[in-house]
Amino acid sequence: MRNRGFEILLAVTAASFAYLIWFVFLVAPEAQPAAGGVAQKILYFHAPAGYAMYLCGAVCGILSGAYLYSPTDKRDAWARAGAECALAFGAMMLVSGPFWAKKAWGVYWTWDPRLTTTLLSVLIYAALVVLRAFSGGGEAEKRFAAALGVLGTVNLPIIHYSVQKWGGNHPTVIGKGGGGLQHPDMRMALFIGFFTMTLFAIVLLITRARLALANARLERIEEVAIARGALET
Amino acid sequence: MLADGTAQNPEDRSTQFVPVEGGETTSAGTMLVVAYLLMWAILIGFVLTSWMRQKKLDARLSELERSLGPGPKS
Repeated sequence: MRNRGFEILLAVTAASFAYLIWFVFLVAPEAQPAAGGVAQKILYFHAPAGYAMYLCGAVCGILSGAYLYSPTDKRDAWARAGAECALAFGAMMLVSGPFWAKKAWGVYWTWDPRLTTTLLSVLIYAALVVLRAFSGGGEAEKRFAAALGVLGTVNLPIIHYSVQKWGGNHPTVIGKGGGGLQHPDMRMALFIGFFTMTLFAIVLLITRARLALANARLERIEEVAIARGALET
Repeated sequence: MLADGTAQNPEDRSTQFVPVEGGETTSAGTMLVVAYLLMWAILIGFVLTSWMRQKKLDARLSELERSLGPGPKS
């Protein structure tokens, strides 16, 4: 993507983010006390963040698989970017959910199937990011990270369907009849949330993948420079 | 006693305080604000780490340029 296109994407994302905040806090109505009251508004960032984690996790899994099949710097960079973004969005979801749960369920955390499988996926992405940050850029490390990336992504459909298959406290947010959102402005707020987080995920994925790719190319140039004695180790 | 728990007349007022399990401790508004602050802190932190990585890359590129000496004028 050319820089001009990226700048336009950034501007649209920023505008959409501002509109989402305005809509959530000033337009979308408050839910009933049993659903958490005003704390229910956490949903409009919490659920889209979960969706963005799926999106970034899918990028990580597909590109990790592609890297295992035929390794290239580009595939490795996108897989790494996918894992980092999936971790960030997963963390957003995990830190926000407990505050809503406390009001709606009376507890911050429960070992509900969806919560547990989500935590597992986020821990896998965290392990992948830590591995890439501290293990160096060797081929074996990259392949092991790619395998972890595939594993993390395999878990994503389990998170999504766990609430339908095994029940638990967590509601099915997206379902027939609007997923329980009774007011049109509530549905609109969630839609804007999904739209904004999709844009945000794309922006962050492109940024991190470009950085990872530039880093890989620079490492190769530095190796050549060191071999020619132009750069000290 | 009224339905909302308030005393109807002075004789109905509470004369002792009994601890209850699971009483209201924090308001929904506080939960909402804390949750949003934490989510935005993560997003801002993530963007900041990207910016810091960019700065590190710039520094390494500058060092490489210095080591290779002046290039041909474009």
